[in-house]
Amino acid sequence: MAGLSQAKPRSLLDIMNRRRLYGLLTTFFIVVQLIWIGTPIVMTVLWSLVNPDYPWSFPSMFPEKLSWAQWVYVFKYTNIIRALETSYAIAPCAVLLSFLLSLPTAYVLGRKKIPGKKFFMMIVLLPIIMPGMVVALFLSRVFQAFGLAQSFLGLVLAHTLMGLPYMIRVLTTSFEAIPQDIIDAAENLGANTFVKIRDIFLPMVRPGLLAGMVFAFTTSIEEFNLTFIIGTPTFETIPTILYSFLGYNFIRTNASVVALIMMIPNIVMLFAVERFLKSDYLSASLGKL
Amino acid sequence: MKKFVILALALCVMVGSLSAIDLQTAKWDAIVAAAKAEGSVTFYAWYFPDYFKEAAADFEKMYGVKANVIIGDQTANFNKAIAEKDMSTGTIDVMIVGGQWVKTTTDLNLFFGPIKNIFPDSAVLAPSLWEVQEGVLVKGYLAPFHRNQTGILYDPQRVSNPPQTWAELNAWIDAHPKEFGFNDPSKGGSGQSFVHTVIAQTTGGLEKYKGDSDVVPSKVANWNIAWKWFTDRMDKLTITVSNNDSIIRMNGGEISMTVAWDDNVKDMISKGNLFKRAKMYIPTMGLAGGGDTMGVLKNAKNKAAALLWINFIQSKEQQLKKFNMVGAYPARTDMTVEGTLLSEADRQKNAIAWFPAAYKNYMINEFVKNVLMK
Repeated sequence: MAGLSQAKPRSLLDIMNRRRLYGLLTTFFIVVQLIWIGTPIVMTVLWSLVNPDYPWSFPSMFPEKLSWAQWVYVFKYTNIIRALETSYAIAPCAVLLSFLLSLPTAYVLGRKKIPGKKFFMMIVLLPIIMPGMVVALFLSRVFQAFGLAQSFLGLVLAHTLMGLPYMIRVLTTSFEAIPQDIIDAAENLGANTFVKIRDIFLPMVRPGLLAGMVFAFTTSIEEFNLTFIIGTPTFETIPTILYSFLGYNFIRTNASVVALIMMIPNIVMLFAVERFLKSDYLSASLGKL
Repeated sequence: MKKFVILALALCVMVGSLSAIDLQTAKWDAIVAAAKAEGSVTFYAWYFPDYFKEAAADFEKMYGVKANVIIGDQTANFNKAIAEKDMSTGTIDVMIVGGQWVKTTTDLNLFFGPIKNIFPDSAVLAPSLWEVQEGVLVKGYLAPFHRNQTGILYDPQRVSNPPQTWAELNAWIDAHPKEFGFNDPSKGGSGQSFVHTVIAQTTGGLEKYKGDSDVVPSKVANWNIAWKWFTDRMDKLTITVSNNDSIIRMNGGEISMTVAWDDNVKDMISKGNLFKRAKMYIPTMGLAGGGDTMGVLKNAKNKAAALLWINFIQSKEQQLKKFNMVGAYPARTDMTVEGTLLSEADRQKNAIAWFPAAYKNYMINEFVKNVLMK
């Protein structure tokens, strides 16, 4: 008590200084974030608008003249439309299949005590630990043997394989985080398995599920190696076009156009699901997010 | 039912053998007819999407054969071809072969051939490129479709008197630290060409390597002098990660002089990735050149159409169109073009030939070991 009574009361000036400091720090971090994230995007936009007749070169800070010529070039000379259609047809199928396959796996890994759990958790990461081209080269042999190469189903399966590790890991963590008390309480109140899944498991894993879906979706949209080895020439996706400008033959202007084409739908999707990406699973289960 | 299946199979084999022709001995007209019967060709490249897309449309218009052009990445293209090597029928019919991969693909016996004598115009196409591509013996298996040459690219606003001789280059690098760039030779041919020239200048020329199919240890014993030349100047040289990276860094002002491929530079200028004031030359100390080729895959589904596609790209009209669109120097020796980045006099006087492939591979590995990893 004595210690408390001796505590110096904060003056108005102290409070104002502290608030000013918080304000300054917040502004500083917002500006840093904007520069950190915004600069590459602004540079990409500017490079995509460089007029080929007026190259953006040293010592100019900004392009001398802007034009849509680089965009026209990409749409005229690449199969970008076909690639967009294929990419956005494969990704939702791969996400759905990843979800269906990972849900039971994640439930078992997250809720059940099984021997070798850590080993299984590591095994599911293998497709993303191994270099993409190595996975593609070996998988292509299997797909050729089963007649899955050059087929839409084959590509969906390949993309699912790359999305599964994210989906399983995120969902497993979500299942692990559900308090046993709530499940016990529901059982005491007579909830059957269906009710538990509907009212407890699914709402509580929803944020994790959405996060996993975002990862699986973006992984599918950005997947190059498997698509190129297994899918081309029958199928082309956006990254197969992007790599022609970004790989060995790096053409910054054209690569910027394709990168933006690939990025914009993903950003829109991220904003759309952002509000669900909250970690408060209890609120989620009660529908209060 | 069993009898019917056997009969159907026998019929298929008969029809197949009737339609199949020996492409290496067949008359050109028969190959054209076979190509038309095949109806399509799948071609893999990693550059010039604009030119190849237009060429595909012209090809289809002329022959009624659909050309499916896939512009991928160089490494990915070859990985795919190698992955499909053991399939009875692959998905690639014909592909571009660059210097970087010519040895690997030739060693793997990936291509159908020799195809040189199949083409009616083969005699007027870069004769040396039919036999040797960047030091690798290709023996008529790979068809030249354009020639290119490495040279020194510089910014005339920052370099007034570019070096010609080895001594001048040394002095220039000493006077302008970090302003001279070349790419890691394991990542692109222009860097290989520069290291090749450094070896020639510091270890007694290239003559002694002629005709060797394997590295002779006594001939490379003094290459440590070349590696020392690099390590002594590591703080004065800029090593980039690819052919294009060198050009991009020059455009950004980081370096003012670099070694580059002429066709690459033209393409980068036309797409607004390099300033138009850039100048290029082959120094008197010499830099190597070569060209790219196309190969028909051994397990190609449409071999005749692939040959027709190569012949079409090699035609005078298409060689000129390619030069006008992307600045690639024709592979044909019976035509002249104007407006090249490198002068014809430069090419005649200062372009040098690569030493044999075994030395080139050895050079790349030793450079990584003795220069990059030091």
